[in-house]
Amino acid sequence: MRFLVVDDSSTMRRIIINTLNKLGYTECHEAGNGREGMDKLATQSVDLVITDWNMPEMSGVEFARAVRANDATKALPILMVTTNAAQGDIVEALKAGVNNYVVKPFTPATIKEKIEAVLKA
Amino acid sequence: MSVPESLIASLVSATEEVFDTMLATTLVRQTGADGALAAPANVVATVAFAGHRRGLVVLYSSMTAARAITGSMLGIPIEDVNGEVPDAMGEVANMVAGTFRTRLAASEPASDISVPTVTIGNDFSTLYSSAVHRTRCPFDMQGEQISVELILTGEADLKRR
Repeated sequence: MRFLVVDDSSTMRRIIINTLNKLGYTECHEAGNGREGMDKLATQSVDLVITDWNMPEMSGVEFARAVRANDATKALPILMVTTNAAQGDIVEALKAGVNNYVVKPFTPATIKEKIEAVLKA
Repeated sequence: MSVPESLIASLVSATEEVFDTMLATTLVRQTGADGALAAPANVVATVAFAGHRRGLVVLYSSMTAARAITGSMLGIPIEDVNGEVPDAMGEVANMVAGTFRTRLAASEPASDISVPTVTIGNDFSTLYSSAVHRTRCPFDMQGEQISVELILTGEADLKRR
């Protein structure tokens, strides 16, 4: 299973990748914003994307829309990890094409559960 | 206008949740709000919010506490922490402010939060105009003092309700 972790915080990328490693997922690529994420997707094969919302240059919601608009990536599962957890935020993210949602702060168990839910869907 | 107790309670519980979940660290609330820091803060992480309410959430810590927080978040020994403190402390402040925002959004229109800014140094203080309302909540973190502060500028925007 290959992951792309998109977050402008290097700390949060490391936390998520550490969590994925502990869950047995060791192939993880990184990007610092949505635009870099699209560049990575053009050159790397990925099975699941984990993205933040608030990022410079291209936000997580804009990134999700770009992924869905691209024939090569439109079916890619997207999990959003963010502090934006108001009801309106979740609706906006789902409309943009996000498959599931993790609210920060999170536990490894939550990440595992959401990954499994996204892959089952 | 003073800072409403309900906002202070939301900020305190948001801070405790972030430290408990992401750092496996139980914070012990110290008595009283508006407490002065026992020692000067070397690391100050700030996130602004605007919309229905306007203001700042500020996280203060010593460099020792910031290195402990960073090491715990990244799963590395404190002695190996090297340059990661600004990003890690900004992320903690972001999660505290974001959790605080979400709690408020359950009962009022949501505000937006900014990206975090982090100031690190010695012999500095943060000053605001007299028109703001501030409450600082100190915590003990395994012998180190940290605190979070809520700064409000003006009343909530009731017209947007």
